[in-house]
Amino acid sequence: MVNLVLNENMKIFRRARTWILIALMAAFVIFGNFVMWNENKSAQGEGWQTELTQQKEMWNDRLKNSSPDDESQTYYKEQIEVIDYHLEHNIRSEQGTMWNGINESAGLGILITIFTIIIAGDIVAAEFATGTIKLLLIRPANRLKILLSKYIAMLLFGLVLLFTLFVVSVLMNGILYGFKDIGLPLVSMINGHIVEQNMVLNLWKTYMLNGIATVMYVTIAFMISSVFRSSAMSIGFSIGILFAGNILLEALHRYEWSKYLLFANTDLTQYLDGRPFQDGMTLSFSIGVLVVYFLAFNLISWLMFTRRDVTA
Amino acid sequence: MSSEPVISLQNVTKRVGRKTIIDNLTFDVPQGEIFGFLGPNGAGKTTTIRMIVGLIAMTNGQILIKGKNIKTEFEQAIRHVGAIVENPEMYKYLTGYHNLIHYARMVPGVTKERIDEVVSLVKLENRIHEKVRKYSLGMRQRLGVAQALLHRPSLLILDEPTNGLDPEGIRELRDYLRYLTRTEGITVVVSSHLLSEMELMCDRVAILQRGKLIDVKPIEYFTKGSDTFQTYRIEAQMPEQAIKGIRQMAGVQEIKISEDGLIEVTTEREQIPDILEELMRNHIRIYGVQMVRRSLEDGFLELTGGGQIG
Ligand SMILES: Nc1ncnc2c1ncn2[C@@H]1O[C@H](COP(=O)(O)OP(=O)(O)O)[C@@H](O)[C@H]1O
Ligand SMILES: [Mg+2]
Repeated sequence: MVNLVLNENMKIFRRARTWILIALMAAFVIFGNFVMWNENKSAQGEGWQTELTQQKEMWNDRLKNSSPDDESQTYYKEQIEVIDYHLEHNIRSEQGTMWNGINESAGLGILITIFTIIIAGDIVAAEFATGTIKLLLIRPANRLKILLSKYIAMLLFGLVLLFTLFVVSVLMNGILYGFKDIGLPLVSMINGHIVEQNMVLNLWKTYMLNGIATVMYVTIAFMISSVFRSSAMSIGFSIGILFAGNILLEALHRYEWSKYLLFANTDLTQYLDGRPFQDGMTLSFSIGVLVVYFLAFNLISWLMFTRRDVTA
Repeated sequence: MSSEPVISLQNVTKRVGRKTIIDNLTFDVPQGEIFGFLGPNGAGKTTTIRMIVGLIAMTNGQILIKGKNIKTEFEQAIRHVGAIVENPEMYKYLTGYHNLIHYARMVPGVTKERIDEVVSLVKLENRIHEKVRKYSLGMRQRLGVAQALLHRPSLLILDEPTNGLDPEGIRELRDYLRYLTRTEGITVVVSSHLLSEMELMCDRVAILQRGKLIDVKPIEYFTKGSDTFQTYRIEAQMPEQAIKGIRQMAGVQEIKISEDGLIEVTTEREQIPDILEELMRNHIRIYGVQMVRRSLEDGFLELTGGGQIG
């Protein structure tokens, strides 16, 4: 099994195309970070105290003047406490430090999804298109293992892109903003207590949450690749629904059953923000839906790959 | 050990929809034989080979490789097989060497030394570290043979291996297959739509037509003929005059003058001395007598009742 994965990695990483995708990923991060840095120049000085004080006043205003409901009230109060903590302990806010850019860069994870879809769409289908599948399947390794090794190799490629994103965004923002705030903690309110968290851990938590959607989309691409044995169809369709998903959700929002749609559940941050797509949806509901989709997609790939005749 | 066939097909049938592509094939190939699979394009050679190596499922019947069922004991059965199915498609963006590493990793016990051994066997030492993209068809064919031999299979299956080879390459391949059967006791199944190539390579030939097995015959059957009548060519003076006397003789089935002016007579072997005696009695000078080998095509046409050979 390890050997099979090594083989798939060899076929991925000994191709120029793969390195072009990785280079593109790095280029997008560098470019995106530069643009963001250029736009945020104002907050980069040492004026963070003034800025936080202004923010605190804004929350205070809202508390007094807009007669908020209970939930908003506690939220505003928490924000004020967090700001006070920053000011008292002389911990600067993320604004104007390298961490602002790094955390914003997590949004570029969409590129990981797209580039991994390209690899996923090709990884099974290309073997059929070129006919190499014949020599691959006449070895003492069963088809399920071969399929699994491809799936693992595809996810590993996604991880390589994620590391690229991480390393390049840390370096680039460090260069732009300076590395001096690299040890900055994340101050936030958890269960009514102020806590300082490690920025890096928090960043990887964000990556992993975003990764759930990525895994679902690349699994779809992988499934289409195995079922239809066509790279173009797989890549086209998967990227299509990646972008159409949210539009579709808007359109179907009024139907209750739309909560069972994959797209309604891929973004788990909806529960962190406390704003689920539809009332009554819970974190465990979404996880359940995701697991069912995940198993279904992989089961279909497996059945189609192992049972069908190879006539390539 | 050698009494058990290396490969055995029993009532193998493949239907796709209502179409029967392979119809009830049954045959065995013993160890050490070079077995030919002969038939026109579309006869079902590749389909049969795909079933043997488990790429497609059969509708009926079973296939055993060294006694292991390809369907229910796939891994044990396929371990003994090295194959090229249709074209030897390799990963073009990898070097020949990395292609071999790829397949070597899939079977336990294939060492670096073994890789080097097969590379030199197929004479690719000088180009093995180049990308397959740059290989000629002949080189790809040889790399294909190399990957098929990596794990020292007992059964080597080559689907139309002569495609893309020049006559010199075909001769080399033939010698090489002979060498493998003699020294390693390997069994070879090759397919072809060309009779002349089968004649050069095979011990026995199965003839396939529209998915049906017409017959399995030793190669001599096609070249030597099965009956007692043979055609002989006699080079003699004044052939027109000469055949007048012979035509009436007992045991002469057919007689004519060929385009190059030789007498062609079809008769039994025992008649030849009598015919020569008759000619000499008529003072016709004789320069030579030769038996005409029946062509493979003749044998084939006889077997298939004049069917197309492709
Ligand atoms: N999957 C399939 N579906 C329908 N017909 C097929 C399929 N595969 C092969 N055939 C048909 O089966 C016949 C045998 O094909 P093939 O085995 O490739 O012949 P050969 O290798 O002897 O040239 C052909 O007529 C081909 O069109
Ligand atoms: Mg064929």
